[in-house]
Order: sequence, then structure tokens, then C-alpha cells
Amino acid sequence: MEGPEHVRVPESNPFVDVATHLFLEDLASKVGTGGLNNYLISLANNLAARMPEEEYASWDEFLEAMKRGQSILSTFEEVRAVTPNCMVTPHSPFERGWREYAKRIGAFSKVHKEVAEYYNAKVRPTAVNSLHIILQTFRDAASRRVKVAGRPVRYEQIATVWVDGERKLASPDRLPALLKRAGITRTRLGMLLRNNAEVWLLYSE
Amino acid sequence: MLDVALVSLIEDLIEKAGADGVIEFWQRVGENLANRIGKEAYMGWTSFNVAVREGRTAYSIEGDVTPLTDMAITDVDGDVVGYIYAMKQCCYLPTILRVRYSVGELSRADKAVAQEYNENFHNIAWCNFCVFHERFREEVAKNITVSGNPLECLLIATRGFDGETRISGKNLAKININSEHVRALLRNYECVYALIMRGSRLRED
Repeated sequence: MEGPEHVRVPESNPFVDVATHLFLEDLASKVGTGGLNNYLISLANNLAARMPEEEYASWDEFLEAMKRGQSILSTFEEVRAVTPNCMVTPHSPFERGWREYAKRIGAFSKVHKEVAEYYNAKVRPTAVNSLHIILQTFRDAASRRVKVAGRPVRYEQIATVWVDGERKLASPDRLPALLKRAGITRTRLGMLLRNNAEVWLLYSE
Repeated sequence: MLDVALVSLIEDLIEKAGADGVIEFWQRVGENLANRIGKEAYMGWTSFNVAVREGRTAYSIEGDVTPLTDMAITDVDGDVVGYIYAMKQCCYLPTILRVRYSVGELSRADKAVAQEYNENFHNIAWCNFCVFHERFREEVAKNITVSGNPLECLLIATRGFDGETRISGKNLAKININSEHVRALLRNYECVYALIMRGSRLRED
């Protein structure tokens, strides 16, 4: 589903991303890991709620909008559909900010990983760091604002790979059903994870 | 997407802590970031200005900074004690555009923070990020030495998204540069600041 016609919003200045990381670290020092987790979830939900709702006549029309970056689900990341329901994100939208952080400041603060562990235990086990909490919660909330042929879209995270190669997969009891719905095999998932940052599922009820 | 989410974060924080609370929060984050970046030392202005051009200084995290080496700042003895630096684009501009293309409208909370800052601190901010930014630069300056002298940063002028300009009368008076020169710079640059050696005896014509 890739193509040069993909419309993107301008790239952010990574400085703003780095400042936001520090902002979150400061917040964590006051509200703790659980508090930060709740904050990130509410942040992502608020962001999705502020974005316009969408409706599409057919799944093909929806996929075309995703491909062109015109859907709220593809506003912040380049999305490719490997099957009608299986989406991949080749590069994490947080990669530039993280690289700038690592280059200018040093090692990523531990709190970003600690809050992901909290989220993995409480919500879904697919976050490597705090940024994935925002992204996955956002996708979940944003997908509910999209209707295809009158039916709401649903989202599930299948797998996440961070820049350093660390992976998080959906829980073993749910993974086979998610792969089946996505139309890919476990082997194909492994292949996708070599070249992509995220593998996720979209379907309509 | 972190930068766009930041806009929601600011809105939420204003409700919880007020605009003055957000300013306090941002200033603390600016200090933390500057101190995390650490110390730098340069043999003289030439080596510092080359480092700025090559994007090697702590200021380079902001984006492209141009050292205006034709605008030296001199002390009472006529020695060069600093220079003017300028950014063609405000760091926050891409975020403003990204909010426009994803959410639709920049939150009023953003202006509220800038307004509070202009009324009570320094009348030069265009957006909430200016608050973070000014403190960050001031703190970074303390961590950089040129010829063994720590620096001081003075924010001189800004041009907002709508084209309006703000010039800091108090900082301009310190470096003894004509406001018309600065106004001319604002045709090409959106953010102008001076770096001088801390404790310099500047001319007061």
C-alpha cells in the first residue's frame, strides 16, 4: 500500500519531543509510575477526542485514506497495509525524538521503561516504553471515531519493536486469534518485525 | 505525535495548576534539560561559532542556529564579548502546523500561558514553548565557557506565527544594539538572541 502520494503533516522539531520527554519525567517524579501511566492514557484519549470523526463507504476507501495519510489513524505515522486488516508502521513516529534525546542528553530515563512495564501488566503487554502507551491508546481511541459502512473500526496491537530491537508481542493466549484476524501467519509476523516498528490489526465489527 | 499531544497536556495542566503553574513547570523542565546536556568549553569565539554552525553545541538541539558574526557585541574596552544568534524558524512552528493539520485549532491554553508570561516575566513570548525555551537557553549559557568565561543568554526579539514582532527593550539596552538592526533581522529570522560573556562591562552610550 505504499506510494509517493502519501500526504504527511510536517515533521515536528525533535527538540519539542525531547522537551516533552523531560516534561513527562518531571511529572513522573511527582505522580509516580501509576500516575504517569494514567496521565499518558488520558493524554492520548484527549488527543483522539479532539480530532475529527470519519466515515467511509467501504473498507477499500478507508484503506486508501490510510495510505494517503488522510485518516486520523495515519496522521502521525506512515501506515502500510500488508493485508486488508494487517497494518504495519515502518518507522516509529518517536524515533527521531528518541535519537535526538540519546544524542544530546544521553541514556533514556528509566521511568519510560518502568511505566511501560506497568502498562503491560495492567492494559496490554505490547509497550516497550512510555511512548507506546500514548500511541497504542491513541490508536484505540481514534479507531472508535472511524466508521466504515456504518460500523465502527476496532484496533488491536499485535507487536511492537523499538529502535534497539526489543520486541513486545500480544499475550500468547490472544496472539493466534489476532494473527488469524489479521490474515498473517506467525512466520509472516516474524518477517514483518524485521523491517517494521509496529504490526497492528484493524477490523470492523 | 508527542508534540501535538503536548498541546493537550498544556490544556490539562492549566486546568489543574493555572497558567502560572505551567510557567513554573516549563521553567523547571528547561533548567533540567540544560543541566542534563552538561558543560561545554571553547577556546574562543571563533571555535564556538564554528561549533554553532556545525550543530555541535547544546543550542543545536533547537534546530539550525545562525551565528551573526557581523554583529559582534563589544565591552567598554572595545573587546568582543559576544555575538547575536538567530533562528530562521521558531522551534514550535512545525508543531503549530501539525496541530492545524491534525486537530484543527491551536488550544487557547497556549496563548494563555504566553500572555501570563508576557505580563509577569518578560514580554517576548508568542507561545507556551517560548517560556521553556528562554529558560533553557539561559541555563545552557551558564554551562558553556568561551575562553574560560561562562556565557549569559539574552533573548532579544521574536516574530510570531502571524508576523507580529516583539523586541525586548531591557535586553537590547544591555547590548547596545539599535532596535532598527534587530527589526531588520526579524524579516529573515523568527528568534534572535545574544550570547555574551557573563559579567562583561558593556558599553552604555
